[in-house]
Amino acid sequence: MIELETPIQRFIARIGLHEAMKSRRQFTDYLFKILLGVVMIIIVSPFFLVLFQVAGVGFWQVFGTGPGQGLEFFTTFPGSGLQGGIRNAFVGTVELITIASVVGIPLSVLGAVYISEYTRPGIGREVIEFTSDVLAGIPSIVFGAFGFAFLVDFLHFGMGLLAGSLTLAFMMIPTIMRTTQEALRQVPMSLREASLALGATKWSTTWSVTLRAAFPGVITGVLLAVGRVMGETAPLIFTAGNSLSVPVELTGSGSWVASMPYTIWAYVSDPSAILQDKAQGTALALMMMVLAIDLIANIISRKVTRRLV
Amino acid sequence: MANKSEIIVSEDEVTEIGLIKRVHQSLIDFKNADHSGRVDKLGKVGLFIPAVASTLIIILILAFLWIESATIFGDPRGGIGIIISPTWDPNRDLFGIAIFIVGSLMCTGIAIGIALPLGIGGAIFLSEFCPMRLRQPLKMIIEMMAAIPSIVYGLWAYLVLVPVIKNNIAPAVGSDSNGLSLLAGGSILAIMLLPTIVTISNDALQTVPRSLREASLALGATQSETSRKIVLSAALPGVGAAVVLSLGRAVGETMAVLMVTGNSLQIPYSLFDPTYVMTSIITNQLGYAFVFPLWRSALFAVGLILLIMSICFTITAKLFIRWGMKTRGYL
Repeated sequence: MIELETPIQRFIARIGLHEAMKSRRQFTDYLFKILLGVVMIIIVSPFFLVLFQVAGVGFWQVFGTGPGQGLEFFTTFPGSGLQGGIRNAFVGTVELITIASVVGIPLSVLGAVYISEYTRPGIGREVIEFTSDVLAGIPSIVFGAFGFAFLVDFLHFGMGLLAGSLTLAFMMIPTIMRTTQEALRQVPMSLREASLALGATKWSTTWSVTLRAAFPGVITGVLLAVGRVMGETAPLIFTAGNSLSVPVELTGSGSWVASMPYTIWAYVSDPSAILQDKAQGTALALMMMVLAIDLIANIISRKVTRRLV
Repeated sequence: MANKSEIIVSEDEVTEIGLIKRVHQSLIDFKNADHSGRVDKLGKVGLFIPAVASTLIIILILAFLWIESATIFGDPRGGIGIIISPTWDPNRDLFGIAIFIVGSLMCTGIAIGIALPLGIGGAIFLSEFCPMRLRQPLKMIIEMMAAIPSIVYGLWAYLVLVPVIKNNIAPAVGSDSNGLSLLAGGSILAIMLLPTIVTISNDALQTVPRSLREASLALGATQSETSRKIVLSAALPGVGAAVVLSLGRAVGETMAVLMVTGNSLQIPYSLFDPTYVMTSIITNQLGYAFVFPLWRSALFAVGLILLIMSICFTITAKLFIRWGMKTRGYL
């Protein structure tokens, strides 16, 4: 394959039409490339369509200066007639994600370290890996149903902050476990052997050699999982409830909590035009938060590949 | 590799001497150990607890799905026949979930029908023909598309796609659909699947050795012939795994599909008919159904079927990867 390092213009000139006219095969080749270019444009166009639609309306909600817009969009409660901002949803999402991360990340990362480093490869480990693969693929609403049946009903937590954030934590566990194991597998065995040969204990080898080498990969997986969970609506419908103010307790009736995805859903189902605009503003804010997390993960993982190469 | 890790683990090997004796022995060891030895032992316990906890949670989810749905499968009014029974009417104790399965499969079929050719084409473009300068931005946009929450896609589909189908596409083919249709669900799903298919297929195409391309070009094949007949067929297992994984995502997608498919209890006969998918029925009815054991159990049975589908997709993807390892030796 020819190295295509030239700019587009020279690229087009090189496979220009006069070249393509030489034979039927050359012409097919030319058409095929143009077709693929068009396909690529079709693939990326929804991104811009979604972005422009959401940003076109939402921009004035998030950055405007009117009542309930701009900074007020995040700092005021909806109030009567839902005219105000989305402080309830913003604070709710932050609280849900914080508790979910505090519970979910240590459990899954440390658990994955134990499974990869301390157990022998065999049937048991493969079964755990397979089940976490399966669980990473099951629909988010099934996690919601599980959270409802187990946390809300069986353990009598009731809907609210704790049930909602634990459900989100459960969603994180399979994903983070798999990415952590993958990152640990990338660490060369020679590093561990060198450390053990120097007389380090298994623990200090794992903690300060293996885990440190795998750290960027682990952090990337964690960030991606957090970003994914942040945008989930379905697990929260039955576990977190909804509220027009911020929760004041962990369980019980005062703990019902709104979240940004749920607010988008609730507002967009409402025929009122103001609420639809607010839904798009919320969507823009949520998208910016998720994309920011994704970008950080991207930068970290790129740094890793550069260092390894 | 496997041998080496076993050697390292083997220092922890304890002969089978019964659990109590083992615990006792390790307590004595702990007492006799120096500082770093104690940290080592404490650290192992500190890692063991999260490992057990997270494994337990995984097992708990599977067990709960099974126990909750066992009611309907064991009940004379339900039984295993609900999978093929087409009538869903909880008021008359009829819990046929066939419509939802058909709805989900049709929606997924349309989505994959749109996304598969586009996705593979995009992956070939990205890996074979894309100018270097464009590659990184394009990859980044596609990764961002994968990160956009499904509720935002749903919002866009509800506000833009549905009116377009209602006002422009449906009248053109002589249908009076209100836009909430199988077509809307399939298209938004296709948009959501594209990033997955493109990213994973692109990774698979990139692992094809350069020498294969060079050999094909040296024999006089054009670039498009090389990419279609050599590179794509060499990367087929990876592309297959990408498609299967995205299928799993399509079946499990909840919010976007819920918002645009119309949710009517019927089997769709045309692209413009509304439909009802498996994830939507759980989302819409679990709240009401919770106090009725049979109804609730039927909804969990839908969840169990989703889980079984996920298991099938995971196994198929693993088989694709194993096939690639066996026949190609790289992936």
